[in-house]
Amino acid sequence: MTHLIVSDVTLTFGGLHALSGVNVDIEPGLITSIIGPNGAGKTSILNSISGFYHPTKGEIHYGDRCLTHASPHQISNIGIARAFQNLELFSGLSVLDNLLLGRHQNLKYSFLDAVIYFGKASRLEAENRAYVEKVIDFMELEPYRKEMVGNLSYGVQKRVEVARALTLAPQLVLLDEPMAGMNIEEKEDIVRFILDLKKEWGITIVLVEHDLGVVMDISDQIYVLDFGVLIGSGKPDEVASNPKVIEAYIGEE
Amino acid sequence: MSANRWLATGNYFTSYREEQRIFFTSLDKTAMLLFILALFAWPLFFHVGNKYMLVVDNILVAVIAVMGLNLVTGFAGLISIGHAAFVGIGAYTIASFASVLGANHILLTHAWPLMIFIAGCMGALFGALVGLPALRLKHLYLAIATLSFQMIFQWVINFMNFFNQGQTISIDRVVWFTGQVSRREHYLFWYYAILVVIVITGFAVRNLLRTRYGRCLVAVRDNDRAADAMGMHPGLTKVYAFGLAGFLAGVAGALHAFLYRGVGIESFTLHHSINYLAMAIVGGLGTLNGSFWGPFVIQVLDLQVERLSEWAGAHLTFAANLATALKPLSFGLVIVLFLMFEPRGIANWWRITRSYVKLWPFRY
Repeated sequence: MTHLIVSDVTLTFGGLHALSGVNVDIEPGLITSIIGPNGAGKTSILNSISGFYHPTKGEIHYGDRCLTHASPHQISNIGIARAFQNLELFSGLSVLDNLLLGRHQNLKYSFLDAVIYFGKASRLEAENRAYVEKVIDFMELEPYRKEMVGNLSYGVQKRVEVARALTLAPQLVLLDEPMAGMNIEEKEDIVRFILDLKKEWGITIVLVEHDLGVVMDISDQIYVLDFGVLIGSGKPDEVASNPKVIEAYIGEE
Repeated sequence: MSANRWLATGNYFTSYREEQRIFFTSLDKTAMLLFILALFAWPLFFHVGNKYMLVVDNILVAVIAVMGLNLVTGFAGLISIGHAAFVGIGAYTIASFASVLGANHILLTHAWPLMIFIAGCMGALFGALVGLPALRLKHLYLAIATLSFQMIFQWVINFMNFFNQGQTISIDRVVWFTGQVSRREHYLFWYYAILVVIVITGFAVRNLLRTRYGRCLVAVRDNDRAADAMGMHPGLTKVYAFGLAGFLAGVAGALHAFLYRGVGIESFTLHHSINYLAMAIVGGLGTLNGSFWGPFVIQVLDLQVERLSEWAGAHLTFAANLATALKPLSFGLVIVLFLMFEPRGIANWWRITRSYVKLWPFRY
């Protein structure tokens, strides 16, 4: 099992320190949450891990691979998938095509195979379609398979977003606020999916979420950020009783 | 498989492969087959003059070019204002062979299918080169980069002696199994040749669109950040889209060269680039059948307006100036009207008609 280790990462935009000297150790097979007030740098960490930003200082390692300067498509190919906070779906395509795009790297046929289609391309498309169906089944997206993503409701689009990350067959998923803007039932659904992912699929999960109730309930490990600085980490109850964390969230007495 | 193979009323798929097919019912398949057969057969029953055959041939050449443009602009969402230059690259590839080897060299007269393929490859090469700015530029800035290629292309052709400074470079008649194609049969012969190319490229593009090589185009159009996260290099995908468009444009250019038995710069100007773009818009961006509607409608419209302006010029002498302006005027009007009222093009009408017929006599 591979550890994802973010060591001493600093990320600056001009004079703004989005992250300063952050250390995060994401253990395999667990749910690790990153929390913090708005603008604390939670999404910046995810962006640094998934290659959209490159740290100004420090390093990110996944097992023995260095991800510090890798680009997003390289990172997704080594088994780290990402679901975005603001929906970044392919709105002109159906749910099915969105998910099949997640299989892009697994469809290993050549351009010529694709032009001829019959034979290899057709076979691999069907095989990968079967994998996509497994994800559709898991995320309970059956009624929406052929719908244009742009026409779906927000809650379903969020689910498609998570499903698309899963079609990459990742070992680790980065979920950026998968429950933002959802009602209680939709949240319960997503929580169920996340727990099943951990238990049944054995996927490591990094969760960024504002709903502290959910985070405290399901996380194995929590990291708390404030203004780009790590102010606390540990098991949920340890974090909840950490005075620095309480100060960041509620303020000083 | 449904019990009725001709008219399925619902979804009867039992395997993923069944769902991947292009034609879902035997009716669809037979209709397409009959349509293609009809396209091949009609010249045998109706004899049209060379003048009109040339119009038909022109439409078909434009179909291939617009198919390419639709891939890059419609599917991949990259506006290309230099498409006529890519068509020109194909045509001038043939012209270069003609001026180096001589117009009646065996490669040009006998191995012309190979030449068409080579012209396509040259188009793809230049397409990919011009697409390189897509690694850094987006939207309108990229469109300007393609426009600059159009300008450079025209400039180079106009000033280089090798290309006869844009004057016509002639190409000999080709040879078929029945001997050299005669003057009378020239346009008919090329009608068939172009039709075969269209059938091949049409199905090839259709196949591409249902595989990863087609889906990635739409992915970079809709959201290139997410495309990156899904494991495709967005920049290279865009370069690939330009290469693909360049290939089809190159093939169209080569066919144009053989059809007119000569290559001159006047067929590959900015005006033609905009014309191709108009065809793609009117036909329907991002649809394959739109690439067929667009050239057909625009060319037929062109012909009718030309007739009208000729008639007006002869009979209404006071409106002679207006008559000459009629062609660009109507052209502009059609584009504006389509952009305003049917931005999804004629392909959308086709879609609506199809679903109406499918459900008839029910409304939904």
